[in-house]
Amino acid sequence: MRRNITPLLFLFPALILLITFVFYPTIATIWTSFLSWRGWRSTGFAGLHNYIEVLSRSSIINLRRSFLKGPPLGALPHNIIWVVIHVPLSTFLGLLLAVLLRRVRGGFLIKSVIFLGMVIPMIVGGILLRFIYDEHAGVVNAVLRAIGLGWMARTWTAYPDTALFALIFGSVWIWTGFSMIVYSAGLEGIPEELYEAAKIDGASRLQIFRHITIPMLKPATMTVVMMTVLWVLKIFDIVYVATFGGPGRATTVLALEMYLDLFFKIPSNPGTAAAIATLLTLITLAFAVYMVRVAMVRR
Amino acid sequence: MESKENILKGKKITRREAISTAGKIAITAVITGVIAGVGGYLAGTSVAPPKTVTKTVTKTAAAATVTKTVTAPGTTVTVTKPTTITTTVTTSVVPTPKVELTVFSLWSGKEEENFLKALKAFTDETGIAVKHVPQTTEGLMIGLPTQFAAGASVADVVVAPWPAWIKELGEEGHIIEVTDLIDPSKYPPSYVKLVTVDGKIYAAPFKAWAKPGFWYKKSFFEKHGLTPPKTWSEFLDLLEKLKKIPGIEAPIASGDGVGWPLSDVTEAFIIGRGSPDLQRDLIEGKVTFTDPNVRGVFEDLVDLLKKGYFSVPDEWTAQIDKLWAEKYGIYFMGNWMTTMPQVKDVKDLGFFPFPETKGAVAGGDWVIVPKYTKHPEEAKKLLKFLAGPKAQEIMVRAGGFLATNVDVPAEAYTPADKAVVDFLKTVDVVPDLDDAIGGEFQRTFWDQLKLLWTSPEMLDDVLETLAEVHTKAVKKT
Repeated sequence: MRRNITPLLFLFPALILLITFVFYPTIATIWTSFLSWRGWRSTGFAGLHNYIEVLSRSSIINLRRSFLKGPPLGALPHNIIWVVIHVPLSTFLGLLLAVLLRRVRGGFLIKSVIFLGMVIPMIVGGILLRFIYDEHAGVVNAVLRAIGLGWMARTWTAYPDTALFALIFGSVWIWTGFSMIVYSAGLEGIPEELYEAAKIDGASRLQIFRHITIPMLKPATMTVVMMTVLWVLKIFDIVYVATFGGPGRATTVLALEMYLDLFFKIPSNPGTAAAIATLLTLITLAFAVYMVRVAMVRR
Repeated sequence: MESKENILKGKKITRREAISTAGKIAITAVITGVIAGVGGYLAGTSVAPPKTVTKTVTKTAAAATVTKTVTAPGTTVTVTKPTTITTTVTTSVVPTPKVELTVFSLWSGKEEENFLKALKAFTDETGIAVKHVPQTTEGLMIGLPTQFAAGASVADVVVAPWPAWIKELGEEGHIIEVTDLIDPSKYPPSYVKLVTVDGKIYAAPFKAWAKPGFWYKKSFFEKHGLTPPKTWSEFLDLLEKLKKIPGIEAPIASGDGVGWPLSDVTEAFIIGRGSPDLQRDLIEGKVTFTDPNVRGVFEDLVDLLKKGYFSVPDEWTAQIDKLWAEKYGIYFMGNWMTTMPQVKDVKDLGFFPFPETKGAVAGGDWVIVPKYTKHPEEAKKLLKFLAGPKAQEIMVRAGGFLATNVDVPAEAYTPADKAVVDFLKTVDVVPDLDDAIGGEFQRTFWDQLKLLWTSPEMLDDVLETLAEVHTKAVKKT
């Protein structure tokens, strides 16, 4: 009896925290999404009404625009674009930097500078992006002018066709520090003997990288990809500060739409906000479950 | 040796026992922490009992007089005798805590400085202290309803410029009805009507403002031989001349932030290139953004955008700096321009109305009292004071402020504000479009205009989106 209770006692503190901060809010949010609301007062069960309303909004899925026409496509497609561009780019850049700086003297210093992006609060990152992309004061346009491409200079976050991509690339700059650090740690864990054996067997540097480094870094890659996807799906602060989802909702994302429904509408609409939150959770959960299953199969 | 081993054996504990003990300690610590936390919270939030001060006062009335009147039939005799009375009174006094009201508004810088003068006058008159906390547009628009939803309010009094927002809060029961606190006849009827729902007035009119036209730097115009235009063709000529001046980034500055400066200049186009009635019809939902008349106005605007006459939107106060640095020629802005610190010399600041316009937008700032204030009586006093002529005259004399109370004397206005007031007398004054409709329409209007400014070729998308949201919004109102 005592043996059965002891593990539960150990779980107790963590369970309390999980129930309070994860399970209850999640269930409450899902329940909220099925109710109709007048301001902050629930007026009854709404079934799937909130979900239908949310998914039929042009701000969530804009049927008037196609991928070829470019933004504003709606928050959901924008989130997908974020994942499609941000995840491979930040993962690849992190790997590249980790490998290049591995044996460079003073590499730790360069890594620290790159990692600074991760240290600054995302709100500050968003403000920095506004300056970086400014037509007259921004460093991006200064570089363009310096290399003779001054005709391209513009406030990149002010135009619907470039604003979304400007935010994504800015976010890659901030996030690459994370993937670089994870890959750096992964590289330190690869036994030197493997490289020595490959060299003795006459393998080229590219072959070593392809057949030893990359496979040995798979756990690190799993971590980087999973964390980046989750981070990108719930992206909010950078968008909020840099563009507030504009111009013309060209940069809006699901988390921002949820926030606007709850706090920027009068009366607030907790039902639709909760529906967006639930959809976001489902998408994130589906991806997380897939990644965990892949990881377990490999193991 | 053996005995020592036994002793040690006796003290040995198994790993399971050790872990179990550690677990129990951890759980006890967590529970204790939770209890202490909850206890601490309750102790912190409970109100301390008022401290009673006992005072004993002994008073001696030396050489006081006692008057006794004796009335006999037909005669009256009055006898006065000097006497000394000593009284000892012991009273228990519960000192009333000093009230300090917290006021939220959107004003900072010079506007806040002027507002503080009015608040000081209130404190001098009533003894009630007032703390002003400036807010951002988002902070006020989002933060306040969130606090109200939780049944609380940090602010005791709020000054806000959005009548639709105020009406919503009133209907939701979050703010105190002020019908009995103000005299509606003392204000222009529209300022009261805008915050009235079913005969209940939810706010007191305080400030009136107007968006009279384009502001410019007089010395810059003189230097380049430019004159304020009166007709549309003169306006177009001016823009072309400005564009050709070296150093000019764009003839017209475009303000950004959350988006209202773009909506202001757009509304000037609706009124000037359309008519004041077109603006009213949009507010009342009689027409929408796909209407040919509205579309015509937007086509005029788009024409100027395509010719590069407007700058890319940038933070609105930074644009005043650039206007003063002669990077832009003109800037459409409200009458508060005269109080902006970026205007280095207000005498060098001129304005001209939108060419050939028959109307202008005027709006206001209203005072509301949240239902959740801890000092409702004091807050009501402040509301009445701000809505009254004394506070408004102080603000008017400080400049950049137009009074809503009709008892404020005309001679109190500064020359710059007087010019705005005189101009308003010559045109049809209409409410601000997005402030009057409010809600999701307001945010969408601001956002879609940002899109139009950088992508004028997307006019159809913009008008369709605006029509969609506008139709829903006016149906609701």
